[in-house]
Amino acid sequence: MSGGSMRGILMDTVVRHEQARPGYPPGDLAIWIFILAELLVFAIFFAAYAFARSGQAELFNHYQATLNRDTALFNTLALLTSSYFVVRGVVAAREGNNALCARWLWAAVAMGGLFLVIKASEYADHFAAGVSLSSNTFYMFYLSLTFFHFMHVILGMVILAAVAVKAGRDGYSPDDHTGVETGASYWHMVDMVWLILFPLVYVMR
Amino acid sequence: MSTKTNIIQPNRQLIRPCTVVYGVLVVLTLVTWSIGRAGLGGLWVSLLVLGFALFKAQLVGDWFMGLRDIRGIWRWVVVIWLAVPGSLITLAFAFSHGG
Repeated sequence: MSGGSMRGILMDTVVRHEQARPGYPPGDLAIWIFILAELLVFAIFFAAYAFARSGQAELFNHYQATLNRDTALFNTLALLTSSYFVVRGVVAAREGNNALCARWLWAAVAMGGLFLVIKASEYADHFAAGVSLSSNTFYMFYLSLTFFHFMHVILGMVILAAVAVKAGRDGYSPDDHTGVETGASYWHMVDMVWLILFPLVYVMR
Repeated sequence: MSTKTNIIQPNRQLIRPCTVVYGVLVVLTLVTWSIGRAGLGGLWVSLLVLGFALFKAQLVGDWFMGLRDIRGIWRWVVVIWLAVPGSLITLAFAFSHGG
């Protein structure tokens, strides 16, 4: 193959990547419909928390003080770091480096696992102290909101692990890595929701 | 050689700003945590913290999700999502502080 035709093929790849972007977000369109539905549910949850709090601000402030903000900080940093790792994984997939992509995604899964361990230990402390959904309105919202998000982290980890396994088998290419972007989009949504949840539940008073 | 640079360059251009964005997200998270740890409260402090959170989420949408270059309605999905709960939370906190 001549240098000129090789250059033409490579440039064509770049152009197709650029053209694939504009009208639609990265990843499969179906995951974005799913993401929109998830974001809507979380938005309703956040608004419900805020308005429930407005009627019982003293109770919410009192029990918010019992939460461990340090573990919440570590959880936020774990999710932010995992999201950054996912970005690096997507870049590696776009470059056709499947092995590197898989490593970044497994690192992101590990950070998700760290989040789960920290959050589970927080729940264990609460349950040991006798806290439950019926303790009061604050704990009802705190437990249900954070556990709902907890389940999304688990689902996100399963999706990222599936993508990482496929990348490890050389299953993506610079032309075909929609699966990586799909998993990445979902994971970033999980991260984004926590970025609102953390200050709302742990800090704002 | 130059064609290889053409392909890799856009990705390098993505990594560098995303690393900066990650740094900004970490710093704002530490500021938010510090405010909570200091026990600061009240309407304006809460709105400042909420503003940080909305800004951070927008950064994730723009740079990590890659929505900043998208045209049309998908460009505004995260913006609209943040505006709705952001406004409602602001309203609820204003009520609770007698605003």
